Amino acid sequence: MGFLAESLRKAVFLIVSGSPDVLSAVWTSLFISANSILLASLLGIPAGMCIGVGDFPLKRIVLTLLNSLMAMPTVVIGLLVYSAISRRGVLGSWNLLFTPTGMILGLTLLALPIVANYSLSAVKGADPRIVPTALTLGATRFQSLLQLTREVRFGILAAIIAGFGRVISEVGAAMMLGGNIRGYTRTMTTAIALETEKGDFAYGLALGIILMGVALGINALLTFVQEKRRS
Amino acid sequence: MTPALYELTAVQVRFGSRVALDIDTLMIRAGCLHVLIGPNGSGKTTLLAVLAFLRKPDRGSVVFCGSSVNWSGKELGRLRKKVTLLHQESYLFSGTVRANVGFGLRMRGVDQEETHRSVKHFLALVGMAGFEERDATALSGGEARRVALARALACRPEVLLLDEPLTHVDQESSTIVENLIASLSRAGTTIVMASHDDQIEKRLPCMIVRLNAGRTPRHEPAPEESA
Repeated sequence: MGFLAESLRKAVFLIVSGSPDVLSAVWTSLFISANSILLASLLGIPAGMCIGVGDFPLKRIVLTLLNSLMAMPTVVIGLLVYSAISRRGVLGSWNLLFTPTGMILGLTLLALPIVANYSLSAVKGADPRIVPTALTLGATRFQSLLQLTREVRFGILAAIIAGFGRVISEVGAAMMLGGNIRGYTRTMTTAIALETEKGDFAYGLALGIILMGVALGINALLTFVQEKRRS
Repeated sequence: MTPALYELTAVQVRFGSRVALDIDTLMIRAGCLHVLIGPNGSGKTTLLAVLAFLRKPDRGSVVFCGSSVNWSGKELGRLRKKVTLLHQESYLFSGTVRANVGFGLRMRGVDQEETHRSVKHFLALVGMAGFEERDATALSGGEARRVALARALACRPEVLLLDEPLTHVDQESSTIVENLIASLSRAGTTIVMASHDDQIEKRLPCMIVRLNAGRTPRHEPAPEESA
C-alpha cells in the first residue's frame, strides 16, 4: 500500500511539474491518434455510407469482412503493416518503419473498420425518406448523401470518437511500428509498458492517469453524443 | 386537348417477385390536375415514384416532354429539378423551417436574399407565416405537412406530385391544402395527386386515373375528365 501511495505521489508530481518526458509521450499519442483518426474518417465515413446506402452484389461479403476486421488483433495489423514498411517490404523504400508516419499508417488501418462500421450503422438506422426527399427537391446524388450525413451527424461523430478511443489506447501495433523511441515515437501506452517493465512505476502511473482521463473524456463525449442522437 | 407531358407505355415495376405496377398506357396532360384513385397497395405511390424519376421501371418506356427518359444520372438530375414529389409521410430535415423550405432553392443555386423572400412567401401561402425560425422536427403533423408543401412549392416545379396530401391532417390544414391545389391547377401547374377520396372529383376539377393491383382498367378510357 505504501508503495502504491508513494508511486501515486510521484506520479501526481510528474504531471503537475510538467515532466518533459510525460508531456512528450502525451503529445506524441495525441498527434498520432488525431492524424490516424483523421485519415480513417476521411476513408471510413464515405466507405461506410456508400456500403450502407448502396445495393451491390457482394454487399453481404463486404459486411462480413468489415465485421471481421473490427475484431482483428492489433498485433496482426502491426505485423501486416510491418511487413509492408520494413526494408524488404513493398513500401520499404519510403523508410516509414519506426517513424510517426508508419505508426499513423498502422493505426489508421486499425480505426478504419470501426469508423466505417459505425458510419454504416448510422446510415442504416437513418430515416429511409432522407435521400428520396433530397433528390425530389432537386439535390444531386452527392448532395443527397451530404444531406444524409448531416442528418446522421451524431452517429458519424460517435464513429469518430469510438475510433479515436481505439487508437489512443492501442499498444501492440504502436510498439511494433514505432519502436518506442523516446521523444519521437514513444506514446503514452508504449511508455507505460516500457517504464513499468524497467521498474519506474511512478512514471507509468502518471501516464496511466492521463490516459484514463482521456479515455473517460472520450466515453463521456460518446455518451453525450449517443443521448443527443436518441433525442 | 392539352399536350401529353408524360407518356407511359408497358411500364412495369416489380418488388422482388411481386408486380407493384403494370400499366399498358398512361398519359399525363400538361397543366391538368390528375388524381390517382385506388385502394392501399394499388400502386399509387409506386407510380408517383416513377413520375418523380425516383424509381426506374423494370420494363417499359417513359416519355417526358416528348423525349424518352434514359434514366442516366445526368439526365435524372436535370429532370428532378422540374418535378417535385411530396411524400405521404413527409420528412422534414433537422433544423429550422426556413432551412427546410429553402432547401430546394439552395440546390438550385438561388441566392440567399431571394431564398429568404421565397421562404416567407410560400410559408404565408400555406398559412404558416412567422414559422421561419421554428424547429422543423417539433411541428405537429398538420403543420409539418404544410411546411413540406411549402418546401415543394418553393422549388416552383413544372410538375407537382402529391402522395395523399389530405390524409391524416386536420380540417384546417385539409382546407388550406385543397384550396392551394385548386389555385395551382387553375394557374396551369401540372399536378398528379394520389388519393383514397372517391368524392374528390366533385370538389376539384380533375382527371381521374383509377388504379387497382398496379393496373389501370383496360376497358376504361383513362384518364377521364370530370367537372
